[in-house]
Amino acid sequence: MNRVAAEAAVFARSTYLQYVALFQWATVRGYVAYKILLPVTQILFFVELGVYAAGRQNALYFALGNALQLTANAGIFGVIATVANERQFGTLPILLGSPANRLVTFLSRAIVNVIDGIATVVVGLLVTVVLFGLDLHHGNLPLLGLCVIVMSLTTAGLGLMFGSIGLVTRDAIIIANIVYYVLLIVCGINFPVSRLPGAVQLISYSLPLTRGVQAAREAAEGASLQQVAGLLGGEVLVGLVWAFGGYLLFRVLESYARRGGLQEAY
Amino acid sequence: MESAAIEARALRKTYVTTRGVLRRTRVERIALRGVDLAIRRGELFGLLGPNGAGKTTMVKIFTTLLLPSSGSAAILGLDAVKDPWAIRKRIGFVFGGERGLYWRLSGLDNLRYFADLYRIPPQISRRRIAELLDRLGLAGRERDKVEHYSRGMKQRLHLARGLLNDPEVLFLDEPTIGLDPVGARELRLIVRELADTGTTIFLTTHYMFEADAICDRIAVIKNGSIVAEGTPSSIKGVVENQGVVEFEVVGMPADRLVGLRGLPGVSSVVVSEHDLAQVVTVQCARPADVMTQLGMVLGGLTLSKVSSREPTLEDAYVQLIGESL
Amino acid sequence: MSTLIRAAFSAFRVSMRLRVVSPYAYLNWLVFPLLFTTVGLYVLSRPGAPVSHLAYGVLGGGLIGYWTVAYLDGGNGIQDERWNGTLEQIFAVPTPLVVILFGKVTGSLLFGILSFIPTVALAYFGFHALLPHVDALRFAISLGVLSFSFFAIALTLTPLFALWRWAFQMLNGFELGVYVLCGFMFPVAIIAPWAQGIADTLAPTWAIRAIYAATTTEGAHDYFTWWLAAIALSLGYLVGAYFLYRLVEKHARMSGDLALA
Ligand SMILES: Nc1ncnc2c1ncn2[C@@H]1O[C@H](COP(=O)(O)OP(=O)(O)O)[C@@H](O)[C@H]1O
Ligand SMILES: [Mg+2]
Repeated sequence: MNRVAAEAAVFARSTYLQYVALFQWATVRGYVAYKILLPVTQILFFVELGVYAAGRQNALYFALGNALQLTANAGIFGVIATVANERQFGTLPILLGSPANRLVTFLSRAIVNVIDGIATVVVGLLVTVVLFGLDLHHGNLPLLGLCVIVMSLTTAGLGLMFGSIGLVTRDAIIIANIVYYVLLIVCGINFPVSRLPGAVQLISYSLPLTRGVQAAREAAEGASLQQVAGLLGGEVLVGLVWAFGGYLLFRVLESYARRGGLQEAY
Repeated sequence: MESAAIEARALRKTYVTTRGVLRRTRVERIALRGVDLAIRRGELFGLLGPNGAGKTTMVKIFTTLLLPSSGSAAILGLDAVKDPWAIRKRIGFVFGGERGLYWRLSGLDNLRYFADLYRIPPQISRRRIAELLDRLGLAGRERDKVEHYSRGMKQRLHLARGLLNDPEVLFLDEPTIGLDPVGARELRLIVRELADTGTTIFLTTHYMFEADAICDRIAVIKNGSIVAEGTPSSIKGVVENQGVVEFEVVGMPADRLVGLRGLPGVSSVVVSEHDLAQVVTVQCARPADVMTQLGMVLGGLTLSKVSSREPTLEDAYVQLIGESL
Repeated sequence: MSTLIRAAFSAFRVSMRLRVVSPYAYLNWLVFPLLFTTVGLYVLSRPGAPVSHLAYGVLGGGLIGYWTVAYLDGGNGIQDERWNGTLEQIFAVPTPLVVILFGKVTGSLLFGILSFIPTVALAYFGFHALLPHVDALRFAISLGVLSFSFFAIALTLTPLFALWRWAFQMLNGFELGVYVLCGFMFPVAIIAPWAQGIADTLAPTWAIRAIYAATTTEGAHDYFTWWLAAIALSLGYLVGAYFLYRLVEKHARMSGDLALA
């Protein structure tokens, strides 16, 4: 009983810390800049680029792809920033020193960011509807929603992996930037994965987003759950593998730190 | 007549900030409420006050970083509001703490950069930098990156930077903050030396012993107003009656207490029960005199743990700052 | 005078040295441009897209890198100085802020223009994309005009960043919008007319129009008009910058905002 209470307390405390950390930079101006301006301009830029190459009739392909990629905005930047904040404020040793369940502690980092990711995509989709006339009348909206939730979770899973790596590097935000834009290239956001070299396609399919975006594109055109179940299942699996890998790495680094080998983590 | 090194007349500063995004509200905070000060050339002047009293604000106005809301400030006879460029060439300043240096550059590069920004001709700056590195004990380490410096070395590098232009007036805002006792002592010695060679120094601190140890003259600032000014010993005069004699005794009769109160210079006697014993605290002007007369007044009783101390600047400070808190 | 030039040169040198050891600088001049070049060339070389569009993929990433370093690095540099506590110091020296920033911005431009090396190499080796019809002289002049316009913008914006952190945040968030308006990776002609109106007030837009025109024999080639427009707008920014510097110096001394709050 005591144990559960202690874990709940740590979970609540670390979730709260992340909330505070998140909203520290998400002042009203910060939120407008990074959660509205940035996503909207990303969509605009790549849509216009696509229009230049493929004509106005293909604008939706680019708009939808980039709107969906916004899940990674929170999943990657958010989670990595959370870890960076823990380092900066020195709360990490407190977490590590507590008797709380490691998995719970670890996963709690992703919570706020998953919710934030969903909100960002909603902004992005609204923009595509308003500016580019994304027509969702024939789309399977509940399924599209499910895809968005799944991708917010899977990108956060990837984020957890890089968050753990972020424990040992000072420049986690740089890693976040690179990962974010690599996803933009390899996950079929602006051009089909099939155009990438074979080896890179292997990478594409071992990352989140690739299958999810494909499923969401089909859902937007009215596909049923059965039709995309395989894609979504694969997406979930990939996300779980990354999250689990991140957790393992976290545990390895933790025990390493305890033996005094990891000054950086503190 | 030569003008004062630093002069402030009715100096006031009110910070205006706005809060909120949708409904913006103006928040005013008064940092200085009409300060008058005059500091002679060559003087080592200490401004003593708690956090938030307005010390940094005053230094920033003197160093031309900040404009006063009203009143005037003059450095070497030059108006701090109208003549910032002339003043900047002739003063130096060091703010306490580790910030204010380029950590990823070497100490030498930091100094060279600021020497150029201070527009010191290269043949002069080369010599000065070598001198300063030597004098501040940084020679040999000047090519290391600042991030590998100890706290004390960083602070001495700060001081070297502040001295690059051979300033006539040097401002030091809490220069020993965060230094270990040895580092702080070293720095105080250097500062005293500087003053002895003729540099006017304006130093702020919230350590009274620091001011007591090195300053020629002190002002105590509280809440934006100067509440006392003078030499360290004259300021201690504020607390004439703050000497203390303390001892423990068992079973002291009440009449002895009266005798104790009757001793010359005693302002109060407080007795507190402590298990079987009583702890007696005597406040007085001259603790040494009271000590010699204790035996006479309390003859026959066994005293233990007798102690006494002279009034310190700290007592004066606490009294000045604590008053009407 | 000579001490002022020395001060500017010293600021230039220090900004270069800080940049060489800062991982963010590499993100801006190397990594981002390469990533954008990759996406750009994939999209622009999609089956059925006109070959003439490829020039935008070859140069677009480099232009993005150049711009990002020119102004974003300047802004980041100012924020760093604020965190370091050195912003206040460089403000209180007998060298005017504009001289110091002149040195810093020149450093940014020199570093930023290096972006073209990795991006053009990637285009050539990765996508076999080339610029077949470059008019070298006009291209070089246009690049010079672009550099001047970046210089003017960076010099104008940096003091703004010193004073109002949120201005930097906003422009940071709007970064890709600038790419759209300046036509870094596709012609401004394809965007909405009202947005083109905004784009025309930006000096780089005109210089970039000239740069891309110098890579092809097709279309209009009004170089003189474009160069003139870019230079005139840049000069206009510099006039604005003059007042801005006075405002910043005054405001900073009123509010004491240069220290980190
Ligand atoms: N830039 C600023 N904006 C608003 N208020 C300030 C600013 N700087 C200082 N203050 C306020 O002015 C008062 C005096 O501050 P300061 O001069 O820094 O005191 P000290 O250096 O003695 O600790 C404090 O109440 C502080 O909160
Ligand atoms: Mg202070």
